[in-house]
Amino acid sequence: MKMLPVIFKRQLTSYACTPGTYLSVAAFLVLCATLGVYTSQWLERDSGNLQAFFQLHPWLYLLLIPTLSTQLWSDERTASLRDVMNTLPITTFERVIGKFLAAWVVCGIALVLTFPTVIVANYLGPADNLVITSQLLASGLLAGSYLSVGCFICALTHRRVVIFLLTLGLLFIASVLSSVLDSLEHQAPIWVIDSLMALNPISRFSTIDNGKLTLHDSLFFISIIFAFLSATTVILNYKNS
Amino acid sequence: MTGIFSYALQNLFGKKMLEISSLTKYQGKRTVITDLSFFAQRQECIGLFGEDGAGKTTLLNLIAGLVTPSGGHINIQGFDTQTHPLQARKALGYQLQGGLSHHTMSVKGVLNFMADIRGFSGAEKRSRVDRAAMRLELSRVLNAPIDTLSLGLKRKVAIAQAILHTPSLLLLDEPTEGLATNQLLKFRTLIHSLTEEMTVIIASRHCNELSSICTRAAVIAGGRLMADTPLPDLQRHSRHFRAVTLAAETPLDLLALAVLPGVAGIEEDRHAPGTVTVLAMPGHNIYPAINALIASRGWNITSLNLEPGRLNEVVHHLSQEVSI
Repeated sequence: MKMLPVIFKRQLTSYACTPGTYLSVAAFLVLCATLGVYTSQWLERDSGNLQAFFQLHPWLYLLLIPTLSTQLWSDERTASLRDVMNTLPITTFERVIGKFLAAWVVCGIALVLTFPTVIVANYLGPADNLVITSQLLASGLLAGSYLSVGCFICALTHRRVVIFLLTLGLLFIASVLSSVLDSLEHQAPIWVIDSLMALNPISRFSTIDNGKLTLHDSLFFISIIFAFLSATTVILNYKNS
Repeated sequence: MTGIFSYALQNLFGKKMLEISSLTKYQGKRTVITDLSFFAQRQECIGLFGEDGAGKTTLLNLIAGLVTPSGGHINIQGFDTQTHPLQARKALGYQLQGGLSHHTMSVKGVLNFMADIRGFSGAEKRSRVDRAAMRLELSRVLNAPIDTLSLGLKRKVAIAQAILHTPSLLLLDEPTEGLATNQLLKFRTLIHSLTEEMTVIIASRHCNELSSICTRAAVIAGGRLMADTPLPDLQRHSRHFRAVTLAAETPLDLLALAVLPGVAGIEEDRHAPGTVTVLAMPGHNIYPAINALIASRGWNITSLNLEPGRLNEVVHHLSQEVSI
């Protein structure tokens, strides 16, 4: 794990050097603010937390995460550097974790940059900042789990368009899972619905979003991250051999 | 316990930098490397010669751990590349065939990144990057993006990256491809100075260019090791060993040359009229006799060379042998 900071730093620099990162973070922030204000009557609701904003995040991540994922292995896009990297004394796990953490930090920065909304909420009335913090954390965890899926797809293919579309498709399926389950309610056995519901990231997210930051919901996201990152490592190791 | 003991012994007395034993590699149903055994000592410069598709790059990739062997073992400084990949890779520098390229990073950026991964920081990192850049004369282009450089410079960056951490074993894949003659001379001096610090293995199709650098030659053809001898021994196998090539403005008396003692035959160069190569019988030195003949006949000679032996020819011959 000694080389982790090196990979992390390199990946963060690579994000900072790419205009796409700024563009997608800006789009995320603008959409987050405008959609939150216009689509839900947040100002009329007077709830003291930012649920109206955070419930949009799973959808907005559909835009941000695939863009960040296409950047993840862009260093290795040129075959020569990919091969050189494979001859260096670093493990695949270090590379995967380093890159993932850098992307997660970019997501974190995007989340932190939504702070004007928090300030406005505090200005307009008494806001429950503890709930807002837990909502931010939940959103960060959701972003992490989505990113790990993106990371996994990057291991499967090197084509940027394919990475973008596959990540988008997979995350979209995750986002609409609850509506699919609703429609299946009378057709499928109850245990299938129950187990799928337990796997649905959106329902987990909305639980935390409501202000209940429980251990098992957080662990759900963390275990998803670990599962997909381990799968990425296994696939990359298999590909290299 | 015995393992530790034998390992300590190996470190104390074993001078072998690289040891390959019965290495085999299949790609699909095709055998790319067949039962290859090979070793390299400290401070040796080994030329790995062979024709296109002989398996040179595959062998280097196997040593570097880019490709997993189907059978056999590779030890670098006593570390098996399969069981101790990290330790083996630490001792290794590898210049890949196509040079190094990246779409955004500058030369300095790449070298700094590589130095980071090799575990250097602060003043040592700076001095190592500077030294590697200076040795390969990259100081001028340090801030240029790699993608804008020519292929030759990209290859130089790849070599700089490989020697940054002063590895014990340096692998170079076609480093002289497309080099101009004056650059070739500089490259030779570089390799000479590198050989004092590390073991160098150079894979190349152009063996004649490397004949003055390498101390040992390994010829590989069809994935088999055809020869592994000191370079002069390989040159001795050439038909042109101790042959004399001379060019003159006036027509030469070929018959007079042919009847000299020890002359095995005469070859005329079809592409350069007036140039003649006189072949020597094994064990004979025909150079003095030809010199004397030139002096007595008063030929107007424009060039006169004693050939050390044509390596390309020997490698080609050995490659033909394996395909039969």
